[in-house]
Amino acid sequence: MQDRPLSPHLGIYRFMYTMALSILHRITGLWMALGLAVLVGWLCSAAAGESDYARATSLLGSACGRILLLLWLAAFCYHFVNGLRHLAWDAGVGLERRAARISGRIALAVALIGFLAAACLLFCRHLGSP
Amino acid sequence: MAEFTLPPNSRIDKHAGKHHAAAAGATRPRTFRVYRFDPASGQRPRVDSYELDMATCGPMVLDALLKIKNEVDPTLSLRRSCREGICGSCAMNINGVNTLACTQSCADLGGGEVRIYPLPHLPVVKDLVADLSNFYAQYAAVKPWLQARTPVSPDRERLQSKEDQEKIDRPSACILCACCSTSCPSYWWNGDRYLGPAALLAAYRWIVDSRDEATGERLDALNDPFRLYRCHTIMNCTEACPKDLNPARAIADIKRMMLERTH
Repeated sequence: MQDRPLSPHLGIYRFMYTMALSILHRITGLWMALGLAVLVGWLCSAAAGESDYARATSLLGSACGRILLLLWLAAFCYHFVNGLRHLAWDAGVGLERRAARISGRIALAVALIGFLAAACLLFCRHLGSP
Repeated sequence: MAEFTLPPNSRIDKHAGKHHAAAAGATRPRTFRVYRFDPASGQRPRVDSYELDMATCGPMVLDALLKIKNEVDPTLSLRRSCREGICGSCAMNINGVNTLACTQSCADLGGGEVRIYPLPHLPVVKDLVADLSNFYAQYAAVKPWLQARTPVSPDRERLQSKEDQEKIDRPSACILCACCSTSCPSYWWNGDRYLGPAALLAAYRWIVDSRDEATGERLDALNDPFRLYRCHTIMNCTEACPKDLNPARAIADIKRMMLERTH
């Protein structure tokens, strides 16, 4: 028997909300795991001494650092809200097709609102103070 | 392990596709792009395009495929039987979603081209015919039959209440078309060890059957990081099911039963 080809999968399947939200959950989870390492590094710098802490803080406070922090904040917001969706599913709630579609939209909307609110609060207050 | 790209022998040869133009005088032409693979040719898969006159074609995608096979290109291979959504033979990927060609109307696909591929991530036998051996083996692995030890007098049936029957009513309606399992990314990457939504829906159907007495053994058999727990509630299965069943709910219920019996 000649080697049978594998039928196309990822390349042809319609990228629906189901896959999109699921892969986004994974990506944000991975990204936050990376963020955890940075957080630990920042705490270590605090333990290491004043100069190390000042350097770490200025690094995170730079334009690049702020963009990364914003990305971590966005990841946290989505992962948290979609995590609640997963908890509901594991409790047997919201598994119907229609409910899953609606909850997906709500999760995205709530994550976006939460992210914008938190970003405004953190960054605007920071801008206001000297 | 997840292989996101196709192996070299499976990649579509973009230059090999043949075009079959509509007959002269076609009033409502529509193009169908169909995946083709001929094991005898020794060549890679290709995508042929067929222009059909929808004015002389039946309403369903299966009608279009049979029109191609009967009138344009008899070399096209596909499975079909009942043409009314009960046999599950003509499951395939149509415009990116797994469904039955016989119950999918061409008009519901909007305008434009119709893209038809075999069910995803399976070995292709020929054209739209994919090898479902692994899928059937997984179905057999969940022992889809009644297991009861309590003797019943030969002149009596095993009775169950109307409520108990209703629990298995919907899951029993599965036609094993494989639309759900082959829509699941988790099944694509781990189809050798993850049972997939169809087999798990079948397992669920026997787990909740009030007459079945092997519930514990059935749950034991599923208690495995891969067989059951590769389900990450992506929900592609429930979205794809042409019979409107809910494998995702069945799997979530099994996971909860696993949890409940340990407490």
